Amino acid sequence: MKITARLLERTATPLSHEDFVTGKMFTVDWKPDLRYAWDDGVAIGRYLKELKQGRIMAKRCRKCNRTMLPPRMFCERCWRITDEWTPVEDTGTVNTFAISHVDWAARRIPKGQRYYTPAVIEIDGASPGMGILHLLDKVAPDKIFIGMRVKAVWRPIAERVGAITDIKYFKPV
Amino acid sequence: MGLAERHSKTSDLTHWRGRIPVNYVYTTGRAGEKFFRGIINGQLLAAECSSCGVVYLPPRTYCERCFARLEDSYVKVLPQGRVHTFTLCHKNLDGSRRPTPILIAMVKIDQTDGGLVHYLGGVTPEEVYIGMSVEAVFKPKKQRKGSILDIKYFRPKK
Repeated sequence: MKITARLLERTATPLSHEDFVTGKMFTVDWKPDLRYAWDDGVAIGRYLKELKQGRIMAKRCRKCNRTMLPPRMFCERCWRITDEWTPVEDTGTVNTFAISHVDWAARRIPKGQRYYTPAVIEIDGASPGMGILHLLDKVAPDKIFIGMRVKAVWRPIAERVGAITDIKYFKPV
Repeated sequence: MGLAERHSKTSDLTHWRGRIPVNYVYTTGRAGEKFFRGIINGQLLAAECSSCGVVYLPPRTYCERCFARLEDSYVKVLPQGRVHTFTLCHKNLDGSRRPTPILIAMVKIDQTDGGLVHYLGGVTPEEVYIGMSVEAVFKPKKQRKGSILDIKYFRPKK
């Protein structure tokens, strides 16, 4: 214990958050500008385009008889190319959910503001367990339950850009 | 369907653009702290290892070769040196083109085994050469912040 304290004294400098705020020591601040462009591919490309039209499209595998959402070009279970596109509903069932007390930057959400309530929603028409990770709203966080029936709330068509956020959130039916 | 379903026109290709928000604050450390205090005062500090004779610039807290403690006895060195290598840079960090290119050099500091990467000023790309004697030009003292940019650039020594 004594040795550790002595070593620390000789080799390390403890710093507090306060020291950073007041600029007690020299620091280098930097914001790397990290940008990426990700190829949507055939399946997700069409999926996003259809979202803009207010449709949720899934893809079928005739061999295992699954309707897959999000759509994919390849059935990972049957090891074969998937088959036809099929529209599914914009309603579903909460498979699991979380109540997040922190925002995207991991900052605590102030009292009085709504917590984020992300959920996995099994979409009607898709196979069991297939669905969308999205946000729930218009429901008190403590009233959400697994099995709850929900429906998509879409952005007005003029505001849609071909993104999963063209659905604003899911609300209880 | 199946294999037949693929993009046949490049205009069908779509992509998703995003940004990854990252920022960091890096402390300059015990050695950096002393080094940049020196820079504010217009001085360069180096760490000399008395047992193996290496002179580190920027200074280190310990000798990387023999692990001797160095941080108690930093030495002042003159802010001058020689161009070890250089490059002419036409673009900014974000990839945009500069109106005029800028010279960047590794300057080996005299009396030391180390050096600094910095701008060259008061010299054209045609004039600069490896081995050229240069000296640091500091900003006015009031403008110095404890940054490597407290040195404006290195210019040919008169």
